[in-house]
Amino acid sequence: MLLRLALALLLALAPAAARAEQLVAAVSSSAVNITSNFTGAAITVFGSIERDASTISRQGPYDIAVVLRGPATTFVTRKKERVLGLWVNAQNRTYVGVPSFYALATTRSLTEIAVPQLWDKFQLGLSNISLPEFIAGDAPVSAQRQDFRAAFVELKSRAGLYREEFGTVEFMSAAMFRVNMALPANVPVGDYVAEVYLFRDQAVLAQKQARFIVRKVDFEQMVFDFSRHQGWLYGIVAVLLALLTGWLAGVIFRKD
Amino acid sequence: MQIYLPIAELSVNMFTIFGMGAAVGLVSGLFGVGGGFLLTPLLIFTGIPPAVAVGTVTSQIVASSASGALSYWRRQLIDWKLAGYLCVSGILGAAIGAVAFQWLRRVGQLDLFIGISYVLFLGFIGALMVWESMRAILGDKFGWQPPPVKPPMSHKLANWPLKVRFHRSRLYISALPIAALGVFIGFMGTLLGIGGGFIMVPALIYLFNVPTNVVIGTSLVQILFTMSAATIFQSGLNSTVDIVLALILMIGGVIGAQFGARIGQKLKGEQLRALLGFLILAVGIRFLYDLAVYPTDLFSLAPALGSK
Repeated sequence: MLLRLALALLLALAPAAARAEQLVAAVSSSAVNITSNFTGAAITVFGSIERDASTISRQGPYDIAVVLRGPATTFVTRKKERVLGLWVNAQNRTYVGVPSFYALATTRSLTEIAVPQLWDKFQLGLSNISLPEFIAGDAPVSAQRQDFRAAFVELKSRAGLYREEFGTVEFMSAAMFRVNMALPANVPVGDYVAEVYLFRDQAVLAQKQARFIVRKVDFEQMVFDFSRHQGWLYGIVAVLLALLTGWLAGVIFRKD
Repeated sequence: MQIYLPIAELSVNMFTIFGMGAAVGLVSGLFGVGGGFLLTPLLIFTGIPPAVAVGTVTSQIVASSASGALSYWRRQLIDWKLAGYLCVSGILGAAIGAVAFQWLRRVGQLDLFIGISYVLFLGFIGALMVWESMRAILGDKFGWQPPPVKPPMSHKLANWPLKVRFHRSRLYISALPIAALGVFIGFMGTLLGIGGGFIMVPALIYLFNVPTNVVIGTSLVQILFTMSAATIFQSGLNSTVDIVLALILMIGGVIGAQFGARIGQKLKGEQLRALLGFLILAVGIRFLYDLAVYPTDLFSLAPALGSK
């Protein structure tokens, strides 16, 4: 991490040709490893705002928004209805290619940072994530039913997989910023992207991405791959393990 | 101590899971049942995805029935021919069950199916057990002799075609109802994560007149083979067997079962049956409650299957 920080600083100090502000961003580690005692992790997103003599001088302070996105997945949201006295899954909506994990961190509230058009454009905040809805035989359209949309975001939030935090990004100096973002124990595995946006006077000045990966390692990865790619063999191994356990128990606790 | 489950993809407290396995093992040792009908709901209620709970418990049942079957084998209390018929049909039922499981999961009705089946099954069996054991207990107390429960139905079922002789059980009956029972138990067991001993044992006694001394051993052999097949099918088709979760449950289960068996020897048969009946009934009512009462969450969320 120190090495990366030093690297980022070095990059920040390097001369740039452009006139507008340049953004440099990095994440504290390029891989989050899930091991058997994994109970969640934290990832630090940091960076610096670079300006030179020719950069136009502006009035307001800088603002930063960081969006962490997990791998895109297709989800089904189902709604229960009463059928013959029982609560049964009746209607459903399928959302295609939505982030399995989403976290937003900012320096201030969204209204202070940017105009609402930009919230939509960059999908800033839980109410602005685009949820393309799948309709059979048709191109995905953005979510129509508000109750399904709200329920989706609510369920994801309750699982700790959708979050928004305002005011958590801090400036360490006039140009350097950082934020600690938590990844819960049930964090989905896959490729993650940290999108960093620089705002000033309600407008976006620069944006930058940094990538990292969440992966199972060692035993966990082996078991997972084994079950997905060789399910039948995995089943046979599970049965043998069970037989061995049962047989051992029979031998150890034998009474007659 | 937290441990990450690679297939369920969540982190659980190892001692909680171990304790659950041991508690259910205790109950299963106490009553001489597999305990799947308690373990699967317990796992679901603690937040393990229902599909993973069902798939994993099938492998746990293999372990618990293996030690039981071995002990009955040593004492030669197994009708191997009858067990063979039940196993072949049971494995067929398990295959159909695993395919049905996959389909129900895709259309989002697996939880409903599991819920309704538990209510019907456990409600019916539990009520029957409570009713019978209460009659016996009250009869003992007041010196009242209850009339015989019901005439064995074997004479009706026995005369179906394809008659087979089972020497060990001293039976000469049609293979068709036997096979139907095996398919049914294999099918339901795979879908619900239960061994089905609590259905199989009364069915063999009351429907087919199988002698009580071989009934448990034979039923254990059927459960062992059917659940082994179910584990392989569930893993091959649905990837829902979590080997880490299974191992913790197995170890807890076999240890708990030892203590249960010791306590069980101190209780009377009717009392045990009444207790087990109430327990089964209680789990059934819990499922009914979940289905009938206004849910805390009208909405649920699941990754879409078959769209990778």
